[in-house]
Amino acid sequence: MKMYLPPPGGKPSRRGVLKKGLWGGALLTLGGFGALFFRKSVEVPLPPGGLQVLSAREYAVLVVLAQRLLPKRAGAPTVDELGVAATCDSVLAQADATSQKEFKQLLGLFENALANFLLGARPGTFTRMAEDAQEAVLEDWRTSRLSVRRTGFLALRTLVMASYFGNPKAWGAANYPGPPAGVHQPDAPVWRGGDVPRPASSTPLEASQRDAGVAMDAGTSPDVGAGAEPHP
Amino acid sequence: MSQGRIFTGEGLLQDTVLDCDVCVVGSGSGGAWLAHELVAQGKSVVMLEEGGHHTRREFDMTEARAYPALYQELGSRTTDDLSVTLLQGRSVGGGTTVNWCSSFRTPKRILERWREQHGVDTLSEAVLGPHWDAIEQRLHIAEWPKEAMNENNKALWDGLGALGYERGLIRRNVHGCANLGYCGMGCPIDAKQSMAVTVLPDAVEKGLQLYANTSARTLTWTGRRITHVNAEVLDPTTNKPTGRVVTVRPKVTCLSGGAINSPGLLLRSGLEAGGRVGRRTWLHPVLISIARFDRPVNAFAGAPQSVYSHHFVERGPGKMGFFLEVPPVHPMLAASISNGSGRFTQALLDQLPQLQVMIALAVDGLLPEETGGTVRVRSGGYSRYSFTYDFTDAHWEAFRFAQKEMAKLQFAAGAREVFTLHADPVRLTSVDQLHLLDEAPWKPLHVRVATAHQMGGCAMGKDPGESVVDPHLRFHAMDNLYVVDGSVLPTSLGVNPQETIFGIARWAAQHVGAAV
Repeated sequence: MKMYLPPPGGKPSRRGVLKKGLWGGALLTLGGFGALFFRKSVEVPLPPGGLQVLSAREYAVLVVLAQRLLPKRAGAPTVDELGVAATCDSVLAQADATSQKEFKQLLGLFENALANFLLGARPGTFTRMAEDAQEAVLEDWRTSRLSVRRTGFLALRTLVMASYFGNPKAWGAANYPGPPAGVHQPDAPVWRGGDVPRPASSTPLEASQRDAGVAMDAGTSPDVGAGAEPHP
Repeated sequence: MSQGRIFTGEGLLQDTVLDCDVCVVGSGSGGAWLAHELVAQGKSVVMLEEGGHHTRREFDMTEARAYPALYQELGSRTTDDLSVTLLQGRSVGGGTTVNWCSSFRTPKRILERWREQHGVDTLSEAVLGPHWDAIEQRLHIAEWPKEAMNENNKALWDGLGALGYERGLIRRNVHGCANLGYCGMGCPIDAKQSMAVTVLPDAVEKGLQLYANTSARTLTWTGRRITHVNAEVLDPTTNKPTGRVVTVRPKVTCLSGGAINSPGLLLRSGLEAGGRVGRRTWLHPVLISIARFDRPVNAFAGAPQSVYSHHFVERGPGKMGFFLEVPPVHPMLAASISNGSGRFTQALLDQLPQLQVMIALAVDGLLPEETGGTVRVRSGGYSRYSFTYDFTDAHWEAFRFAQKEMAKLQFAAGAREVFTLHADPVRLTSVDQLHLLDEAPWKPLHVRVATAHQMGGCAMGKDPGESVVDPHLRFHAMDNLYVVDGSVLPTSLGVNPQETIFGIARWAAQHVGAAV
């Protein structure tokens, strides 16, 4: 759920997060215009629901970045099976326009051949590199001496990690049992006042009748019954 | 007075103008207690809350639903350079809907410092004590029983015992708690005594008109008086403005939006107090230490915080203190706040049930060289502020020291490995390897820092040249504007802040009411 890329503009902070430092502004410019100068990115199928924020090219870059960041492993769903890049796109759709723009620039910068050459002496279009070269680029970003790259890596990793591990289908890979069953009540009443009297279940009086004190609370609340057992 | 109502974006289909005694902006720990007391005084109160009215009907204990719905900026609020991740609530109830229930009265030494160094001669244990008594009774604040402690907290408890460090059991605002462990995603059984299920409905019964999905954008003022609070209605689903506006014409206005948003609203309204609004923001910056045990810890289950240590809260002149607690560990937050390569995180998350996590919360704002955080508005958006935080050498000295102490505690409790949250995570396999921590970089963006406690930015104080609000929380340059939330704290606290804010708000209500 993290896009972490505050927009430029406003005062006194005129620079967005990636524009900090001597190189930041020039690098972002490369990220934005790379498509005009460099080879085509690989093409990947678009998600069934289409894209809301990212272009097809940016989406392709994010798909490959997510694949390298969370490599395929036995027993765990792949980032593609969980549609991680598409999840990122839908999260970005809820963010403000300037955050969206900066994340798009960040993806452009990863892909840009000239930037890869200038920053890491690895010329080439990211999505067309061999997998081990792509991993090396990501490692360059993570451990870079330039804060703009470390920040960019952090923004990317956070969004991808949240999109993958926020998906219940990834919980098994983390040996996470998920929330206890039988507790959440999707039909619980909602009280908003007006002409409706406050229901008894949410009054202090009723709550005080529920149990005598906090020492009784652990494990056996009468509200939730057997479903409230903590995880095994 | 007749019963009030909670309005939400779905129902606000017309532009609305409201006259009232008091407009409270924000429904969290400060605004809720303030409004509760004001309606009890018979005042007419309109409350504006930009977040939604979310209830246990929606609280399904999944992270992917909770963070975007219940936290500021979808859970992604940070400093501009991403060096600090900010967890801050955003819904009816504010932070109390998603916090981990830890309840502490303000330490005496902090109240004394405010009196001596900031001229806050209005607050003391004697003044706040009766308010805290009433609050603790209403919110069922009580020590969490040791026998209900989860394994994550027990590791801290055992480690502290083994090393002979000070330790204590945390008091929690819960009633009928089933020890589930999902406080951070909204309590699914209303056991947490958040503002949204306690004093806010109490206040609505007594006439409070609460407008959710209604974001105060600016204050209109003339001379020394606020005349209008101008708000936009937000779509509950998309969070974008619907085009409808709510205009409030109150006799008195109170800002209770918390330590980022209250300064933000003032700055957008041209109320800068000589540049002091939005400055000296304190965070209790958090350093996180991850341990792997060879037994299940299941830190995702059970009351998230039940043990603390204030052993290192005062470390002597020139040094920054810190206090120790544990966080809950769920996969989405753990993965996104971890560091290192993707493969490292995959390997770490493979062992999620064996992970034990400790946090050291630095007590910032007490050293003379500190300037803290700075909030500034940005063009092109309302929720996204520019926010910077200045680390000092004292921060990094404290973090390095705290990391060593947390590793010692974790090994003492039986950890097999300890990891830092460096971009290149430091891995320790025994307590003999603490020296490896000296070689790691202790600088912004080399190690992750988080915060769940935002304080300051509208500091209270006697001297208008040094503070934003006076010792009764009135904005110095205005006759009918108050700030009643965590932003008035002149320093951080050294304890989790909710009960401090509850107490100050309940106390402040008499002064706000008198100003009507």
